[in-house]
Amino acid sequence: MDDIGDPLKMTDISARADDLSPRTPRPARGRRRRIVPAVIAVGAAAAIVVLVINLLNGSLFFYDASEAVARRAELGTDRFTLLGSPIEGTITKGFDGDETVVAFSVAFDGVDVDVVHFGDPPDLFKAGVPVVLDGAWVHEPAAVDGFVGNETDGWHFASDRMRVKHDNDYKNKSEYDSRVDKANKEGRIVATSNASGG
Amino acid sequence: MTTSMTDNAREVSPPATGSRTTFWLGVVSLVGVVALILLSFFVAPEDDDQHDAVRMIFIHVPMAMLTYVAFSLTAIGSVLWLWKRSVWWDTVAHGAAEVGVMFCGLTLFTGSIWGRPTWGTYWDWGDVRLVTTMILFLIMVGYLAVRSLDGDTATLATRAAVIGIIGAVNMPIVNRSVTWWASRRTLHQKSSLTDGKLEGLTLFTMMFGLVVFSIVMVWMLIHRFRISWLERQVSEGDLSEALIARRAEAAVVSSEGGSK
Repeated sequence: MDDIGDPLKMTDISARADDLSPRTPRPARGRRRRIVPAVIAVGAAAAIVVLVINLLNGSLFFYDASEAVARRAELGTDRFTLLGSPIEGTITKGFDGDETVVAFSVAFDGVDVDVVHFGDPPDLFKAGVPVVLDGAWVHEPAAVDGFVGNETDGWHFASDRMRVKHDNDYKNKSEYDSRVDKANKEGRIVATSNASGG
Repeated sequence: MTTSMTDNAREVSPPATGSRTTFWLGVVSLVGVVALILLSFFVAPEDDDQHDAVRMIFIHVPMAMLTYVAFSLTAIGSVLWLWKRSVWWDTVAHGAAEVGVMFCGLTLFTGSIWGRPTWGTYWDWGDVRLVTTMILFLIMVGYLAVRSLDGDTATLATRAAVIGIIGAVNMPIVNRSVTWWASRRTLHQKSSLTDGKLEGLTLFTMMFGLVVFSIVMVWMLIHRFRISWLERQVSEGDLSEALIARRAEAAVVSSEGGSK
């Protein structure tokens, strides 16, 4: 299996030893063809170094809402990335000139943070689905018409970039319901409320 | 004599890279891809949160899984080249790297398209899952680039094998990154398959996609292996031919010198 075969077997070129007729020389490998792989190899190596350095710098290192509040003095007005889940009933949309502004509160580990995000939120943005926000602390209450935040300490997080960090659960309620209905009709679902005897 | 030599060569070398097996693999691949498209767009349900965007899972996840398979083959072939000097395995490693780079590139591309409607961004340079996957892609592009350099075939195969093994070392980091850095450095969700978060027609369609793309990959690997095998035959044939030509020239020169 390891042997790909003796190349001499393929063409029996030893038999050509007595054929001394002039042969057309093969064209030398083009300069471009020699250089391109080398450039690609060096470019790939350089790109890998840059990417690893970027990763080690932790440009997407999240602080969850509870950590961000605990480290507020240390973080000051530096930009950082905040992780938290928007709280139901707090999402308020408005405008700053032509720009969309969204104010809401996020929660993590029982700590709430008021957020004012400048720009359109992603399509999947909604209460309960965690978001990752780039921005900084601002020492003044969130001032968006109609917004009533959960945090009352006079700080808010001003964000200009939002990504949704959705979970890995893919579901379709109607498909699920139809399968439950079918199982019910076929008698495959047994009531378990009294099954334990409790 | 020329005719008989040509006939002899035809007997030894295959006339093409195709065969009855690859023909049927190709047919099954084609039918499978069409069936997958129909299942993905017309049969599988949309997700309650992601809606139609979830259909990208039927391509993206199989591509990602087969990327691991292809690069694992490259790593195995590389080890066996370094250890046993197995030309057969080296050829497998090379072919698998080419197919793997294609699958890995498509994984990045489909993931990026999927990311826009779900995460809200095509790409994030600080995201550990995305960036380690890009690094894997670049490592294997480097592998192919090294194999294309001028030089002794065995030396280039050895250098490429080392790169192939480095790529394999990166694969567990790529795979586990969503668990190791889930709450810190990645937007990417954990594995839905191993966490049992897929069900019904969504799960079926994704597994069907995995089977279809596996067949496509096998079909490609067989063809690529045969092409590489023939390339080796030709390049080694060229070398032998050149040696014979030089010997013949030397023989003519020496006989002329002797006659003087």
